[in-house]
Amino acid sequence: MAKYAEAEHIKMYKVPTKIRIDEHTEKIIETTDGNVVLQFPVLTGDKLREIGKEILKAQERYLSTLTVQTIVTVIDQAVQKWLDPEYPFRQLAEKLLPEITGYSKEMIRISLKRYMRTFRKKELLRFLDEEFDQVAMLDEFRPRKSGGLSRAFGPRLIFHIFSGNVPGVQLWSLIMGLLVKSAALGKTSSTEPLMAVLFSKTLAEIDPLLAEALAILPWKGGTASLETEAIELAEAVIVYGSNQTVERIKPKVPQTKRLLAYGHKISFAMIGKEALTPDRYYDVVHRLAEDIAMYDQQSCLSPQTIVVEKGGAITPKQFAQMLAAELQRFDLKWPRAELTDEEALAIHSVRHHYELEALNGQQCSVVYASSKDTAWTVIYHSDAAFNGSPLNRTVHICATIQLEAVMDILKPYPSYLQSCGLAVHPNRLLQLAALLGSHGVDRVTAIGEMNRAQAGWHHDGGLNLLQLVRFIDIESSAEWDAERYDPDVE
Amino acid sequence: MDFKDKVVLVTGSSRGIGAALAKAFAQRGACVIINYLKNETLAEKVVEDISEGGGQAVAMQADVTDEESVKKMMADIIEAFGVIDIVVNNALSHYSFNPKTRKTAWTIKWEDYQQQFSGSVQGAFNVCQEAMVYMKAQMSGRMLNMVTNLIDFPVVPYHDYTTAKTALLGFTRNLAKDLGSYGITVNAVAPGLTYPTDSSKETKEDVRKMILTMTPLNRLATPEDIIGPVLFLASDLAAFVTGQCLRVDGGLVMV
Repeated sequence: MAKYAEAEHIKMYKVPTKIRIDEHTEKIIETTDGNVVLQFPVLTGDKLREIGKEILKAQERYLSTLTVQTIVTVIDQAVQKWLDPEYPFRQLAEKLLPEITGYSKEMIRISLKRYMRTFRKKELLRFLDEEFDQVAMLDEFRPRKSGGLSRAFGPRLIFHIFSGNVPGVQLWSLIMGLLVKSAALGKTSSTEPLMAVLFSKTLAEIDPLLAEALAILPWKGGTASLETEAIELAEAVIVYGSNQTVERIKPKVPQTKRLLAYGHKISFAMIGKEALTPDRYYDVVHRLAEDIAMYDQQSCLSPQTIVVEKGGAITPKQFAQMLAAELQRFDLKWPRAELTDEEALAIHSVRHHYELEALNGQQCSVVYASSKDTAWTVIYHSDAAFNGSPLNRTVHICATIQLEAVMDILKPYPSYLQSCGLAVHPNRLLQLAALLGSHGVDRVTAIGEMNRAQAGWHHDGGLNLLQLVRFIDIESSAEWDAERYDPDVE
Repeated sequence: MDFKDKVVLVTGSSRGIGAALAKAFAQRGACVIINYLKNETLAEKVVEDISEGGGQAVAMQADVTDEESVKKMMADIIEAFGVIDIVVNNALSHYSFNPKTRKTAWTIKWEDYQQQFSGSVQGAFNVCQEAMVYMKAQMSGRMLNMVTNLIDFPVVPYHDYTTAKTALLGFTRNLAKDLGSYGITVNAVAPGLTYPTDSSKETKEDVRKMILTMTPLNRLATPEDIIGPVLFLASDLAAFVTGQCLRVDGGLVMV
């Protein structure tokens, strides 16, 4: 009990300074430096409304008056803090996230800093320039080439529904909202409730008034009273998660409000024979294994099926064996997270399914699996097929004579496909990408980069900031007409 | 490999490779002395881990670079256990393997070398001098010195550290010649970059990747990888092996 009283208490929420949270639930986690008590707020609809009004007030009085340039500078300063290994919040995140999410310390340490780098000022500017012809449109009316003037307004308040346990992904959404000057009401997921809170607190260290427009709160997904209240407060809703979550939220959001939904997606990889020459194959295997090991495939950017072309220095089957050996090495470097019984069972059952098939001689599949537990699984198929995976470092490898010839396997899944890691000769790149695009894929990337989307990417094939803002146009007629009412006009 | 009732001293064993070695000896029946310089809490934690696993261990503070300090530790060991069967010279002067901030050939000072000589060679010298008194009387003993594969292939030239370790290998071979007649073997183990440890945490991903692309086994060593070769050389299986250096680096150096 003494240990408990002395333990560090961390609030797993961030609310405007005026708001008092009196009631908490607590969860104790053990870290290498002793116990830490995580405090979660007990929320009611009324409290949520009170919080919503405060952040709206801060948005109206302060955030909406800042220039985009100023907001970018504040975010950049926050990111600079996070890029310092000695920054206390970074150290806290590096200590708590492995315990909260189960991911290996080393993996979190490396990926967190890599991720933060994608929000440096230059990247934010690139992101803004990618979508707006004139970024200053977010600050004032800007003349249009076709005549007249336009200005863009972001939603006054965005309700972000975060999901999953990949640390930091929430920041993307939060930053996007800030760039269009929206207050944020973020609902964190129980599996990663930390990063959005810590980053908001960093923003508060730099610009306390700006951070007054941010509220990050955890509550149990599907709590109807809170969800309804949050949607009512918001002008736009961004929801991440399973298709069930998205489908549950959709009907609750009135037509008059914007809804951006990022549901379940599947990614895969394609390896051309030219990437399997004796000088290249190991590098490809290594980078692919990293794509699979990173966050145990929990990110929708991670590959589940890999199509390998025949005719290289190693056969697709050898590729599968080598990938298995590399995943074994990754398990030493970045041990896979502990699984729930259900997750482990899903892996066992897919292993058994294909082992049985192979025994019965129905199909030529071979299962390569970690000997001790479910740490990794590579299932080789001699025929091309697209298979989903139970994740947690489980992949299917299938062989083909020619990558271009297997597009049919993608046909059943156009609305689910997302990233394709592609390793081919430059002459095939555009043609293959065009084929992939026509089948629903929205991102082609290098092997080894699958989990790191570039700033300004078309998330799930759409626009980002432009989907959030609304424009007001002053038509040239109004512009000219106004001149007539100048008493000094000739 | 059985080390039942053997008394083993591992210097610098509150953390990293030393701690892994101490635990491995204890698991196989040895009574292990966890020597540390400053980190009492970590040393006690290693003792606790060993005790929880049913092994025997005791933490002893001593600065291996200080003759008196080592004399006292060895006397304490003999008083408590009556013998010393195996010593593993694993301690080194604090060193951070940071390729970005390492000293170049034109900035390094003689004092830097001296500090490393003192940690690596003088530390081993003090421990071996004291241990050999008892080992000679027992007509048996195993001495192991931890060196590095950088001796053969300075992939990052850590001048002071690697030069001192090279000297330690010379020390090892000479000692082997003189102590052979007493039935004492003296060998060295040369790990490659071992990750993660406190010393190697500053070796960033890019250099680690560069090393592992040249390594046949395609990964870096972990502290646990060093255990097998050390236990082998400390065991009866290696009774006729002395003055050798066993590289444990996934095949990076082949000589």
